[in-house]
Amino acid sequence: MTEIALRTRFEQHRARMRHVALWIRLAAAAAIAAFALTTPGFLTPLSLNALFTAISFVGCVAVGMTFITLTGNIMSLALGATVSASALAFLAMLSFGILPAFLLTVLFAAIITGLQGFLVGHFRANPILVSIAALSLLLGGAAFVTGGHRIYPAGEGLAIFKGRILGIPKEALCFFATVLAGQLILSWTRVGRMMSMVGSNVRAATAAGIDAAAVITMAYVIAGACAAVSGVLLAARYGSGDMEIGAGYDYTAIAAVLVGGTGITGGSGSTLRTLVGTIVIAIIEVVLLLRGFSEQLQYLITGLIVLVVIMLHAAGEKR
Amino acid sequence: MTIKTAIGALVDAKVRPFTIVFGAVAVLGLIDGGSGYFFSLGTLFSVMQLFATLGLVALGLGLSMLVREFDLSVAGIFSLAGCIAVITGVTHPWLGAVLGVAAGVASGFLQGVIMTRLGLSSVGVTLGGLLTLQGLTYVLSGNQTVSYPNMAVALGLNAPLAHLFSIRSAVALAVFALAALVMAFTHLGRDVIATGSDRRASRTAGLNTDRVLIAVFTASGALSALAGVLLSYSLGAASPVGLSDVLAPAAAAAIIGGVSVVGGRGNPAGIAAGVLTLCILRSGLSAIGVPPYVHDLVTGGILLCIAVLDAPELARHITAWRLNRAERRARALAKNPI
Amino acid sequence: MPVLSIEGVTKRFGPNTVLKNVSLSLEAGEVRAICGENGAGKSTLVKILTGLYAPDGGSIALDGNPVEITSPQQAQERGIALVAQELSLAPALSVLDNIWLGNREVPLFHRRNSLRTRARAALDQIGLSDLALDTPASALNIGRRQLVEIARMLTRDARILFLDEPTATLSDVEIERIFSALQALKAAGKTVVYITHRLGEVFEVCDTVSVLRNGELVGTRRTAEIDRRQLMGLMLGRSAGEMYPSWQSRPGAAALTVKNLQVPPVVRDFSLVAERGTVTCIAGQIGSGAITVLRALAGLSAVATGAVEVLGRPMRLRSVLAAQSARVQFISEDRAGEGVFLRLSAQRNLVATKLRQHTKWGVLARAKLRDTAVKLASAVGIDRARLRSPADDLSGGNQQKLAFGRWLGGDEPGVLLMNEPTRGVDVGARAEIYRLIREFCDRGYCVVMASSDLEEVLGMADVVVTMYRGAQVGRYGRGEVDMHQVLADITHPAAAA
Repeated sequence: MTEIALRTRFEQHRARMRHVALWIRLAAAAAIAAFALTTPGFLTPLSLNALFTAISFVGCVAVGMTFITLTGNIMSLALGATVSASALAFLAMLSFGILPAFLLTVLFAAIITGLQGFLVGHFRANPILVSIAALSLLLGGAAFVTGGHRIYPAGEGLAIFKGRILGIPKEALCFFATVLAGQLILSWTRVGRMMSMVGSNVRAATAAGIDAAAVITMAYVIAGACAAVSGVLLAARYGSGDMEIGAGYDYTAIAAVLVGGTGITGGSGSTLRTLVGTIVIAIIEVVLLLRGFSEQLQYLITGLIVLVVIMLHAAGEKR
Repeated sequence: MTIKTAIGALVDAKVRPFTIVFGAVAVLGLIDGGSGYFFSLGTLFSVMQLFATLGLVALGLGLSMLVREFDLSVAGIFSLAGCIAVITGVTHPWLGAVLGVAAGVASGFLQGVIMTRLGLSSVGVTLGGLLTLQGLTYVLSGNQTVSYPNMAVALGLNAPLAHLFSIRSAVALAVFALAALVMAFTHLGRDVIATGSDRRASRTAGLNTDRVLIAVFTASGALSALAGVLLSYSLGAASPVGLSDVLAPAAAAAIIGGVSVVGGRGNPAGIAAGVLTLCILRSGLSAIGVPPYVHDLVTGGILLCIAVLDAPELARHITAWRLNRAERRARALAKNPI
Repeated sequence: MPVLSIEGVTKRFGPNTVLKNVSLSLEAGEVRAICGENGAGKSTLVKILTGLYAPDGGSIALDGNPVEITSPQQAQERGIALVAQELSLAPALSVLDNIWLGNREVPLFHRRNSLRTRARAALDQIGLSDLALDTPASALNIGRRQLVEIARMLTRDARILFLDEPTATLSDVEIERIFSALQALKAAGKTVVYITHRLGEVFEVCDTVSVLRNGELVGTRRTAEIDRRQLMGLMLGRSAGEMYPSWQSRPGAAALTVKNLQVPPVVRDFSLVAERGTVTCIAGQIGSGAITVLRALAGLSAVATGAVEVLGRPMRLRSVLAAQSARVQFISEDRAGEGVFLRLSAQRNLVATKLRQHTKWGVLARAKLRDTAVKLASAVGIDRARLRSPADDLSGGNQQKLAFGRWLGGDEPGVLLMNEPTRGVDVGARAEIYRLIREFCDRGYCVVMASSDLEEVLGMADVVVTMYRGAQVGRYGRGEVDMHQVLADITHPAAAA
C-alpha cells in the first residue's frame, strides 16, 4: 500500500526554507567575491600567492578537523600542536629520505591523534577535555625532546616541495589532493557513511550494529594524518621548525569547518564544504590585509564571523 | 571497616578532591624529607599566589560544567579584562578593575543570552566568543605586552599577609567562600545543580533554566575577568595568553575537584581542593627545579587520567570485562568439572 | 463559572495535526478523566494547558478571563500544576529539594524548618511517611518518584491539577494512596484532570470523562451515566477488530529460547520460548522489565546474563554485533533517540544496516544502495518522493516504518524484537504497522513485541506473556486470556513474587 504522492504543506514549507538557506549562502558568496574583486591589488600575483599560502597549511588541518566534527566530537584543540610536532618529526627524520620521513611522520601523527580517538570512542571521554590534555602533553613532550631549540633539517630534499605545477603552488595542490581524498572517503566508502551515521546519532548507530568506537578512532586517525601533511608542508616551506608553527591553527580550522556548513553537532558535512569555508576565510583575511586592517582586526573579525555563522546555522535549523 | 570499604569511602566522588589534596601535600612533605626546604612558608606563599589566579578561572569554568556546559571563552576574557584594566586603570586602579570585570560580566551575559534564545550548545557559542575576545585583546594591546606603570598597586597586591597570603589570594579565598555559601545555603545553588542534573525535568518543574544558564555564564565571565585583572595588576603587564596556560589547568582543577563534565555534581569547596592540588604540584615541582615543560606534562597527564576515569563508558567496559571473565570461567568449569 | 475553559484549541507538529478544535470546560471540585487511545492527543492537550507547548489556534480562559500560558512557571503562577508522564525530578537533588524545585515562593535562604515541615506534611498526606526528606531522588524507584511529584503538587496550592497517566507505573498499594490523595484534593475544592487509558480507574475515581479520538473531542459524559462498553465505543469509534488484521498463524520451530535472563536491577529471572511465524507479546507496565528484556536480547545491555539460543545456536549477550550476526533484529522504543537518524535522509535510514552487503574493497556501491532503498521504501509504503528528505520531516508513523523497512530484504528470516512499536504513531499508520508485523510473520520471522498497550497486545498476539517486577507471570495462547486477566497479572499477580 503506497501513500499519495502529494507532499504535505509542511514538507513543502521545509523544502522552501532549505532553498532560502541556499540562496542566502549564494548571496553571501557573491558579496564576498564582489568585496574581493573590488579591492585594489587583489588579483595580483602577490596577493594570490598569499591566498594560496593561507589556504594550504590551515586547510589540511581543517580537512582533518572536519572528520572530528562530523563524527559528533565537536573539535580538537590539539591539532595545531600536532602540526608543529609533525613538522619537527619530519625534519628530524629527513636523514631516512623524503618518502620514508613523510610516511613515518604521518604514522606518528596518526598514532598520537588516534590514541585520543580511542579514548573518546571507546570510553566516550569528553573530546574537548581529551584534546586539551593532549595539547599540554604535546607541548611538554616536544619541549622535553627538543630542549626548546629550533629543529633543522637532518637531510636533503626539501626542495621537492617548492615550486609550481601549472602555475599553482605545489603546496596548494597537496591541499586540494587532501580535500579530494577526504571527500572520497566520506562519500564513497563504507567507513565514511558510518562516520556520518555515528555523528548524527551515536546510539542509533550502535543499535544499527555499527562499531562506533572503531569509526570514531578512524576519524581521529585521519585527522592526525591531515595534520601531518600540513606539518610536512610547513617544514618544507620554512626549512626549520618549533612548536609555534601550528599555534592557532585549531581555531582557524574549526572556523573554516563551521563557515563551510558542517554543523557543530555532527552528522552532516563534507570536506568540499570545508574547502569553501577555508577559501572564504582566507579571502576575507587577504582582503582585510590589502585594505589596511591590522592583523589583530583580522583575528577579531574571524571570531565574529564564526559566532554569526554558528548562530545563523542554528536559527536555520530551528522550527 | 575493611580496607576495601575505607578506600571506597576515600575515592567516593564527594570526598575524592580532599583525598587528592592530602595526597599532594603528603608527596610534597616526602620530597621535603623534613629539611624544611620545600615545605616552607615561601613555597606555600607561592602556592597561594598561583591559587589566586587559577582558582577563580577554575571556579567559573567549574560552574559552567555544573550545568552541563563548557565555557571555552574563559581564556579570552581573562586576557581581555587584564588588558582593559591595565590600559584604563593607571591613575585610578579601581576604575580599571571595575571596567575589566564589567567586560567579563557583559561577555558572559551576552553569550548566555545567545545560547538560551537560540537553543545552542555552549561549545559553539563560547568558541566564537573566545575568538572574538582574543581578537579584541589583540586589537587593544596592539599584539604587544602592555605595561602597567602603577607599581604601588602591583606591590600592594602581592605583599605578603601573615606570611602566607596576599591581597590577591585573600580576594580569591573570599570569593570561594562566598560561592560556597551561595551554593550551599541559597536555592540558587540547588537550581544550578538541578539544571545540570536534568534540565528538561527542572524546566517542567517550573524552574526558569534559561535564567540559571545566563547567570552561570555571567558569573563565569566575571570570575575569569577578575582573575585576569588581578594578575595583570600584580605582574605590572598584560598580554594575550595561550590556552594551555589557563584552560588546561582550570579544567584539570575543576575535574580533580569533583565536578562532573556531564553536570549535576560538584561544589566550590571541591574545586578549591582541586586547584590547591595543582598549585601544590606546580610550586613543588618548581621548587625542586624541574624545567617548565614538566608542568605541561603533569597537567596534561592528570587531565587525561581524570577525563578517562570520569568517562561514562568506562564503567560499562569494566563491567563487561568482569562478566565475560565470569562466563569464561563458568564455561571452563562446565567442561572440566572438578 | 467554569474554573477552566478552552475553545477551539488546535496543535500541529510538522505534518501532523495532533489536536483539532478542542473545546471543554471544568468546574471547581470536579475530577475529570480524559481518555483516548495512544496518539489521540491527550498528552499534547495537557502540555498546552500547563505551559509546555503553545497552541497553534484557539483560546484558554481561567475563571472566565482569557489567558495565555507561555511557560510552566506561568502556569504555576496561575495555579495550574502538572505531574507529567516523563518524571521531572532532578536525580542529584534530595526529595526535599525536589519538592520545592521551581517553586517561586521559596526564599533565597531555603534551609528553613517551615519548608521541611510543609514537605513532610505533603509526603504524609500521600502515605510516604517512611520516606526521609534527605533521600536522594536517584535512589527512588519510579513509583515513589511519581508520588514525590504529587507531593510537590500539593505544596503548590494549585487550584487545577493535571495528572498524566499517573498510575502506569504504580503497584496497587501505591495506586490506592493516589486515590485517597485525590479524594482529599476534591474535598478541598481543587479541580483534577486525570489522563488515562485505564478505564477501570475512570469509573472508580472520576466524576466526568471527556474522550479524545484522533485529536478531536468526541464527547463528555458523567461517569454515572455511561458504562465501560459505551466508553470504549467512544474511544475507538469502531469495533476493536478493524484495527488488527486477521490471520492464520502457522507456528514453526522454536526460534528463540531464553533461560534465566537477568538484567540487574530490573529483570530477575526471565525465561521465554518463541516460535517462528508467531507474534509473542510481552505485556507489562512501565518498570516491569518487558522493555529491558528485549533490549538485552538485542545486545544493548551491558549487564545482562543468561542462556539464549537463537535458531538453534547459542547467542552471546551484551553485544549488538553478536545479536545481529545471530539474525536478531531490534526496533527501539526510543525512536528519536535510538531508532532513527533524524538528520539523515529517509534513504540513508533504510539502508543503514545493509552497508556491508553493498561494499567492495571498502567502497560503497552507491547506485545499488539507492535501488535497495527504493525497493524497501515501496515495501513499507513510503513514497519515493520522500526518500531524500531528512527523516525528521516525516511523521512519527513514517519514521516507524523506516525502522521496520531497515530489517526487510534479508536472506534468512530471523527474530524481530520490538518495543512499543506504535508509541507516538497516529491511528492511520498504526494499522499499517500491524499489517507489516503480520507480513514479517508470514515470511517466517519470529516476532516478539513488548507493549504496555493492552488492546494492542490482545489484538496482535499469538502468545501473550505477562510480566511483573522482572519475572514472567503467565503465558497464554490466543483466545485463552482476556483483558481483565492480563491486567490482574501485570498489576498484582496471584503468586506473590
